[in-house]
Amino acid sequence: MLLKDKKADLVIGYERGSSKRRARPVVIRADKDVDRLIFDDTCGPSLVPFARKALRATPLGTRVAVVAKGCDGRALVQQIAEGQFKRDQVVMIGVGCNGVTDHRRGASGEKREASCERCRYPNPPVYDVFVGEPVAAGTGDEFAGVAEFEKLASADRWAWFEHELGKCIRCYACRNACPMCYCEECVVDQTNPLWLGKSAERPDTTLFHLVRALHTAGRCVDCGACERACPLGVRLALLNKRLEREVRERFGYTAGLSMEATPALATYSEEDKQEFML
Amino acid sequence: MSDWEPKIVAFLCNWCSYAGADLAGVSRIQYPPNVRVVRVPCSGRVNPLFVLKSLENGFDGVLVSGCHPGDCHYISGNYIARRKFATLKTALEFIGVEPGRVQFSWVSAGEGEKFAQVVARVTEDVRKLGPAKRLVKTIGGGQ
Amino acid sequence: MQGPSSSSRSTLVVGAGIAGIQAALDLAELGADVHLLEETPSIGGRMAQLDKTFPTNDCSICILSPKMSECARHPNITLHTHSSLVSVSGAAGNFQCTIREHARYVDAEKCVACGLCSDKCPVKVPDEFDVELRSRKAIYRHFAQSIPSNYLIDTAHCLYLTKGACRLCEKACAANAINFEDADRIVSLNCGAVVIASGIDPYNPIGYGQYGYREYPNVVSAMEFERMLSASGPQRGHVVRPSDGKEPKKIAFIQCVGSRDLEKNAYCSSVCCMYAVKEAVIAREHGKGIEPTIFYMDLRAFGKDFDRYCERAESHYGVKLARARIGRVEPVEGDSLKLHFMPEYGRRESEVFDLVVLSVGLEARRRLARLTDQVDIKLNEYGFCKVLPFEPLATSRAGVFVCGAAGGPRDIPESVMSASAAAAGCAPYLGLERRARASNKEFPKEKVVVGERPRIGAFVCHCGTNIAGVVDVNAVVEFAKTLPNVEHAQDVMYACSQDSLETIKEKVKELDLNRVLVAACTPRTHEPLFRETLREAGLNQYLFEMANIRDQCSWAHMNEPAAATEKVKDTVQMGIARARNLGPLEELLIDINPRALVIGGGLAGMTAALAIADAGYEVVLLERESELGGNLKDIRHTSSGADPQALLRSTAERVKGHKFITVHIGAEVKSIDGYVGKYTTSVEIPNPKPQTPNGASPIEVEHGVVIVATGAEEAVPAEYLYGKSQRVITQKELEKRIDTLPRMKTVVMIQCVGSREPDRDYCSRICCAKAVKNAALIKRKHPNTEVYVLYRDLRTYGLAEKYYTEARELGVIFERYELDSKPKVEPVKPGDVTSRVRVRLGDRLLGKEIVIDADLLVLASAITAPVGNQTLAKMLKVPLNRDGFFLEAHMKLRPVDFATDGVFMAGLAHAPKDIDESITQARAAAARALGVLCKKQVAVEGTVSWVDPDRCTGCGVCVATCAYAALELKELKRGSETVTVAQVNEALCKGCGVCAASCRCGAVNLKGFTDDQIYEAVSALRA
Repeated sequence: MLLKDKKADLVIGYERGSSKRRARPVVIRADKDVDRLIFDDTCGPSLVPFARKALRATPLGTRVAVVAKGCDGRALVQQIAEGQFKRDQVVMIGVGCNGVTDHRRGASGEKREASCERCRYPNPPVYDVFVGEPVAAGTGDEFAGVAEFEKLASADRWAWFEHELGKCIRCYACRNACPMCYCEECVVDQTNPLWLGKSAERPDTTLFHLVRALHTAGRCVDCGACERACPLGVRLALLNKRLEREVRERFGYTAGLSMEATPALATYSEEDKQEFML
Repeated sequence: MSDWEPKIVAFLCNWCSYAGADLAGVSRIQYPPNVRVVRVPCSGRVNPLFVLKSLENGFDGVLVSGCHPGDCHYISGNYIARRKFATLKTALEFIGVEPGRVQFSWVSAGEGEKFAQVVARVTEDVRKLGPAKRLVKTIGGGQ
Repeated sequence: MQGPSSSSRSTLVVGAGIAGIQAALDLAELGADVHLLEETPSIGGRMAQLDKTFPTNDCSICILSPKMSECARHPNITLHTHSSLVSVSGAAGNFQCTIREHARYVDAEKCVACGLCSDKCPVKVPDEFDVELRSRKAIYRHFAQSIPSNYLIDTAHCLYLTKGACRLCEKACAANAINFEDADRIVSLNCGAVVIASGIDPYNPIGYGQYGYREYPNVVSAMEFERMLSASGPQRGHVVRPSDGKEPKKIAFIQCVGSRDLEKNAYCSSVCCMYAVKEAVIAREHGKGIEPTIFYMDLRAFGKDFDRYCERAESHYGVKLARARIGRVEPVEGDSLKLHFMPEYGRRESEVFDLVVLSVGLEARRRLARLTDQVDIKLNEYGFCKVLPFEPLATSRAGVFVCGAAGGPRDIPESVMSASAAAAGCAPYLGLERRARASNKEFPKEKVVVGERPRIGAFVCHCGTNIAGVVDVNAVVEFAKTLPNVEHAQDVMYACSQDSLETIKEKVKELDLNRVLVAACTPRTHEPLFRETLREAGLNQYLFEMANIRDQCSWAHMNEPAAATEKVKDTVQMGIARARNLGPLEELLIDINPRALVIGGGLAGMTAALAIADAGYEVVLLERESELGGNLKDIRHTSSGADPQALLRSTAERVKGHKFITVHIGAEVKSIDGYVGKYTTSVEIPNPKPQTPNGASPIEVEHGVVIVATGAEEAVPAEYLYGKSQRVITQKELEKRIDTLPRMKTVVMIQCVGSREPDRDYCSRICCAKAVKNAALIKRKHPNTEVYVLYRDLRTYGLAEKYYTEARELGVIFERYELDSKPKVEPVKPGDVTSRVRVRLGDRLLGKEIVIDADLLVLASAITAPVGNQTLAKMLKVPLNRDGFFLEAHMKLRPVDFATDGVFMAGLAHAPKDIDESITQARAAAARALGVLCKKQVAVEGTVSWVDPDRCTGCGVCVATCAYAALELKELKRGSETVTVAQVNEALCKGCGVCAASCRCGAVNLKGFTDDQIYEAVSALRA
């Protein structure tokens, strides 16, 4: 309908993938292909990196419609706040999301992704059309996992991260899947200076994940794309979640809710807490 | 091990903390000789990467110091920096880097004595923690 | 060599101490051709002899050296050292000055200052620079950091010149620089103006027989003690007694030797209290066991931050301050000295000390009397240059100005201010024009180093013993040689001295160096000097790196030489790593808008505005209130009898009528944007119609510099029944009604009301003189009125001491009180606001209470900074001190500048001061401002941000973090794509690097502090 009315020049959404348990991104250009679009609990991969590419590659005036579940909608909002494209370039097709399936852990509908379990934004904060009914947000503490982990002693936390990040093979699938990792050249690929060694040695790996967490602090929408993309199942989102809480508690900012607000780490308040300063 | 002395890198903003360090010297206030200073124009210049790289390079501690809130020579550089520091500190401590390895302070150009106190405190904290191991990269990968 | 000059742009500055140097530099920046005349063989003056300076304990020679070098390097300054003035004839704008350059017998072109001649010279002469504490040779340098640095022969003592035989120096000199045929040269100069900056001599305490100076070896003058403390002095900074070379334990300072003494010098020398406290503190630093006691009459710590310095001396250094007059000094066993004194309260006492320092006063230079004959100017009753009323720099001859202590006892910052002010005074006589170039100094073409392998030269400074006394400099040099890309490493005695700078230049050329590292003091003071040296050597100045091994190392780890040396090695290694990655940077030229904005229309603001306007530049003067005048409006009399209201009228009239001055009354500054040369200030004015066509308020003022002259306020007292009794008023209120005051039986004045208290711990400086003046006025009008002044320290510093003496002669009664026993005030009739008030004061001498019923109680309430300073400071991005006054760039040598270019301060905005001091500082600010305005362009630092458009994603984080709006997002073609990327406006960028640190993509970098430079520094020490 959007295509027919020329309200959008193309639509980015999901279509059925190679198996019943998988969905994959698709670009629809003609009205006749619209029926290929699906949305269900298999529609995990973030569409935002595709959308960003499409939006930036197309000539000005092109309108791109994007199917946006809660987290993807927030990522789009965040990217608009970061000037990656203009609001009027994108038509947001809002969908309510009940969470996507953790296909590593169970069959369709059985086990939701960890990030979906704690999700508080199943519906996009901004949309142009909404398909279906909004989904009620979950309750309970989204930071419970973080709080649980923080009970561990410093050395135990270190041991856990050592073990967890020890699995990393530096394939960068997490980064490539992340809707907020859109640098032209990622810091790990820069050679002058060589901030991060190319090896899979522990300090370099740890540093890579630390830097990624810092770079997405106040921007991460906890879509879970990184963990979903990781071939080794590294639990990457824990640190991100901790920083999400930090930014919300300390600076009163939640990523992906406002297109106007200055991102938390690009601004300040004179009243920011500074109990840690000597 | 017994003769181990912590080595600490300090990123000092040119206008306040670096001047405060100069003042400490001019006033002959004595403080531990464990700090190696990197002068930066503003605490806001300190990219968290500088801190992480310093740790990876084997510094036992990192101190970042700037002008007091409101005193920044560049108006708000220290305020922007304060947000970076808060997130960096949280991230480091969350993954299990010992609190005290990386510290932040405000020292003005007139606070020679405070500078000396901050250095003494950070040195003492780091000394108690012992040589840095977490995040340290040693050539060849061995500890 | 000096031919007669026909240009009236020339100025003669007589005396090259700190005042003469500052006047010369300011005049040179205004475009004048300056001839700096100095009697001794080197510029530097008294300040060069000092070890440290109060109240920051800055090393005196360290902060002076860069100024001396700047003088020597400045293309507009010609030095005439070892020279004397012969005559000055003609009139202002066209003086004929004749000077005699005395023969040096050493060819300045050939001498390399190696000192071989001096080694061979057989004649020993007492060294004047070291106050004869050691000897020099007949061929010598004035002091180690002399400028010019070359040697000369002392004609009075040279064997060949006196007896016709020797010439050993000639044989020793490899450079063939000795020339016994040399003769005096007479130089004639045509000058538009003359500045007298002949300075002071320390009082010779031989006149105080009772103190035993020159009789007992362990009684020394303060100047001798200063040299004893100096690291480069005769005792290398070890405090030992002259008699036996042992470290003294107890040191006594006797104040007011040759000051405040009607039989010697009646005036107060202004600086002795502070230098004594400083010498006591420094002595304590040298030897922890030293116990200094200062015997004084009044502690005159009246300057900015002085009281706090004294408080710290007492609390942290155990310096004892004892109020007592010393009767006599008696030698006792073991070369020690017994001081007999009368304490303020109690009986005659005595105490034995190991060393006695006489805090000698300042006297006008003995040759000033001769000088004034030659120049035909008058002296005042104390032998200092006589100046005109409200013209503290103008001598009795038009076109001849005085600055520094030649005009009266002054400390360094006041000398510097008066020097800049004298430069402003000269300007109208010089016919100066606005110049096209930022500097007319020519530098060699810069060598292209891009693509070259780094070839680094490392120079490690001894700083006398300041560094080498703690750090193993040779080991550092050897270590530096092992570092990659270091082509050359050597030690230097004083890196900042002219000969070391020459060495650096020579090595750059000889070894084709393309980077230079100097390991010495701090880049904050010395980087500009070394950068300029690189330029002179044909290298881009940003190829310089400095390692701070003194202020942040040898001085901070004096007791840990091994660890200090390790730290220095690391610091040098990190510096070399940074140096390796340095690249040449370009400086952007900014056009200067030749208009000044002066904020504040009090005396300081008006005076500054007039000085700038008189030099031919436009001024916009803003006054918040409804009329000009500020605090001056309320001042009816001055101590000297000059009429302040006449001053106000004439100044305000001249301001209003001046064709170059636009005055806005009732004006409120809303915002200030821009940078040196190009400021835009938004000002709200009540009736803008006459000024702007559309009648809009606020108006916008475009200007190149700003002078802050926002004044200060009298605090509202919170004690002594103020506001509760009609009998209690402030000094300012008294001032308003002083001429109509009815006859009263008793008037009481209380000093330090709200000053020098724990929560406002500074001295308001002018209240003592004001109380003395008003007390005397009352007493003269009504001799039978009893006038009491209750004070803590009577601080009529300088020549104002006279009025204190006069007031006592008139019968004004001065009673002291202490902070812990402040006077108590109650109404005589409780509950009656019109009742006389009863003042009770504990008298320690008699042990009983003094009770005075006063018809009028006058409170000397503190002078406080206006709250509005906070807002203005934020708008200007300049700092305030903890008391809310504006904080200068350097307490000693930059007393009117801010660290921010193009912003200056004057008057009470800086600190409390009197009328003449405000006028002086206002003129000084004007001179500094004119130094910018007179140039069509100035260069901005090359340390600015830079965006790599290929890496930038246009996320805008840098734009959001920039406090100067120096970044904006712009569309750009990248291949076929149109992308939005950030761009830097270099003129707006201040180089803080917040943007660079905030960029996730590594697209933004800060030149001079690039990611890779810092990366290399923190990676340099990896094993």
